[in-house]
Amino acid sequence: MRYIFTRLGFYFLAFLFAVTINFFLPRMMPGDPISSFLGRLAQSGGQITPETIAALEALYGYSTSVPLWQQFIGYLQSIMVGEWGVSTRFFQPVIEVLGRGTQWTLLLVGGYLLISYTLTTFLGIYVAWKRGTWADSLITVGSVVISSIPAVVMALLLYFAFASNLGWFPTGYAYDPALDPAYTWEFVSSVLYHLALPMIAMVLLGMGNVMGMRSNMINQLGEDFIVMGWAKGVRDRKVMFSYGARNAILPMITSFAMSVGAIFGGSLIIEIIFNYPGLGQVMFQAMLARDYPLIQGYLLMMTIMVLSANFIADMLLFALDPRLRTALD
Amino acid sequence: MSDLVQVNNLCVDYITFGGRVRAVDDVSFSIKKGEILGLAGESGCGKSTIAFALMRLHRPPALISEGEILFDGKDILDFSDEELRKFRWADTSMVFQSAMSCLNPVKTIESQFYDIFEAHNVVSTKEEGAERAKELLQIVDIPPERLYDYPHQFSGGMRQRVVIAMALALKPKLLIMDEPTTALDVVVQREILQKVYELKEEFGFSVLFITHDLSLMVEFCDRIGIMYSGKLVEVAPSKEILGKPQHPYSFGLGNSFPTLHGELQEMIGIPGSPLDLNHVPDGCRFAERCFNASEQCRTDEPQLRNDEARGWVACHHPLAIDFRELQDAPCSELN
Ligand SMILES: Nc1ncnc2c1ncn2[C@@H]1O[C@H](COP(=O)(O)OP(=O)(O)OP(=O)(O)O)[C@@H](O)[C@H]1O
Ligand SMILES: [Mg+2]
Repeated sequence: MRYIFTRLGFYFLAFLFAVTINFFLPRMMPGDPISSFLGRLAQSGGQITPETIAALEALYGYSTSVPLWQQFIGYLQSIMVGEWGVSTRFFQPVIEVLGRGTQWTLLLVGGYLLISYTLTTFLGIYVAWKRGTWADSLITVGSVVISSIPAVVMALLLYFAFASNLGWFPTGYAYDPALDPAYTWEFVSSVLYHLALPMIAMVLLGMGNVMGMRSNMINQLGEDFIVMGWAKGVRDRKVMFSYGARNAILPMITSFAMSVGAIFGGSLIIEIIFNYPGLGQVMFQAMLARDYPLIQGYLLMMTIMVLSANFIADMLLFALDPRLRTALD
Repeated sequence: MSDLVQVNNLCVDYITFGGRVRAVDDVSFSIKKGEILGLAGESGCGKSTIAFALMRLHRPPALISEGEILFDGKDILDFSDEELRKFRWADTSMVFQSAMSCLNPVKTIESQFYDIFEAHNVVSTKEEGAERAKELLQIVDIPPERLYDYPHQFSGGMRQRVVIAMALALKPKLLIMDEPTTALDVVVQREILQKVYELKEEFGFSVLFITHDLSLMVEFCDRIGIMYSGKLVEVAPSKEILGKPQHPYSFGLGNSFPTLHGELQEMIGIPGSPLDLNHVPDGCRFAERCFNASEQCRTDEPQLRNDEARGWVACHHPLAIDFRELQDAPCSELN
């Protein structure tokens, strides 16, 4: 238990750190968004009254009259209560815009993690066990080749081949706009249908994990306790899973924790190309529109998701590795 | 006494980048029912390789290239995968040289015991398995409540004892102990060997005992085989092998060993270093380092010959000294 709380504390500090950067970075950039907005407003012949400025300051959470540290405290408070400002592109609270995107991104990335890690783990175990056979060469080389295709190229290829040209998959959106969101089979299947192609792209891009699992597994198979497992007369399948794979997945969890940022980065590209309305899309549009509150909110949301994923990985490792348990508790 | 294990002309090769290395070359010996056979020799001479072969545990790049291993009259090299699986641990179990790293770090001791019982269908419930495991732990002086701990919670010596307890789990006919007590202090080491000895007397299994501790070996074993560079060079009753060695290498090995009771005595040792298995000479492998080597030794390879009264030796000029009469021999007091 103590371990869990220390980790939680650590993640909270990391979160505060990220929030601090998030607060100061835009304020250190030349040309604050308010003056640039006012500039654009003036160019287009708009009226600039003190009310306009006050409204803008409220919108951006900026102020010229309040000391920085007070602004910071205020910023922290509003973040904690979920007031992340208002999007200048969508004219809606940032938290709402992000919330809409987050559900789809979580579906995409969560589904990807589940499918990809299950698939690559089992494939890795299988090829390590069958090391040196043609099945090993085929799967190993195949997964390396596939995963070394750049994400953009892979996504565009799949998109043009299967969505644009063949029309097997939809060209965008998370579900058929004609349907009302509800837990009906019709709606759920529409969601899955729209999810399929971007998901396939991500799973293919993640095939490189087969190599990681394969080499972990081969390392484990060289361990003395594996030989002892065989010597004990334990059946092959059990030695493979309960002695080999059970140990080989531990480093995979660590590597997952380290790559989770890159996974969200990858989902950004996929979402943009497949026109999938997740966070990546939101970020893309926010950037095009220089929607600073939304960009900041996006970064914050990413921080929360990456930190949560790391925390989950920590807990998983803690549950699966008895050495960690006793060493830290 | 009849033979439990009969090894005939066993050869084990390691396939390396430099070609095939024959780590065990044309080795034959037998282990009788209820007998403790010791295996001694310098590091790298092939002792563990033989132990692995007896359970057919070799995996590529190692392979048993020639010979037969008869266990109760059946050649284990002919076993099917399933026969082999059932044979392992139930008929022959092993305390590995690397006992420290032999336990699965993510499973409790209890579950690793249970895997044994389950694989051989000897218990029907987990509770029954735990009961039996606790009894076994008691034999090696581990408190039974430690059963539910993980391997890393034990000290090195305790882990070694846990592995010994596991090796006894199915009362095998042959127990292989490859340096089973290296991490234990002298007192515990003797206690455990004493226990194993008592169990052996009770259940009548045989033991293949590998150790670098010659005095321990002489005390514990009925017969001892001496290996040199993949060859078995001498097999003799343990009472005679150091006191009346026939092979010059056995003589050297005995001399390299300090006496237990510590009176100062010159340790002669063996000049030179062990053979490089990539370059095996024509004649006797030991000729290079032997004080007694002749021309014949450098050209003809000596074969293991049976000396009715005593045992086996592979030497053109077996020694005929009896240390026990000549002087206060290095190990005479141990007999
Ligand atoms: N995986 C391997 N690949 C190549 N050669 C090997 C391999 N394992 C062992 N050998 C060689 O086989 C020979 C015998 O090794 P073995 O482990 O049987 O020695 P040993 O007598 O048990 O030594 P020790 O007393 O140090 O345990 C050594 O010369 C070693 O170099
Ligand atoms: Mg060895």
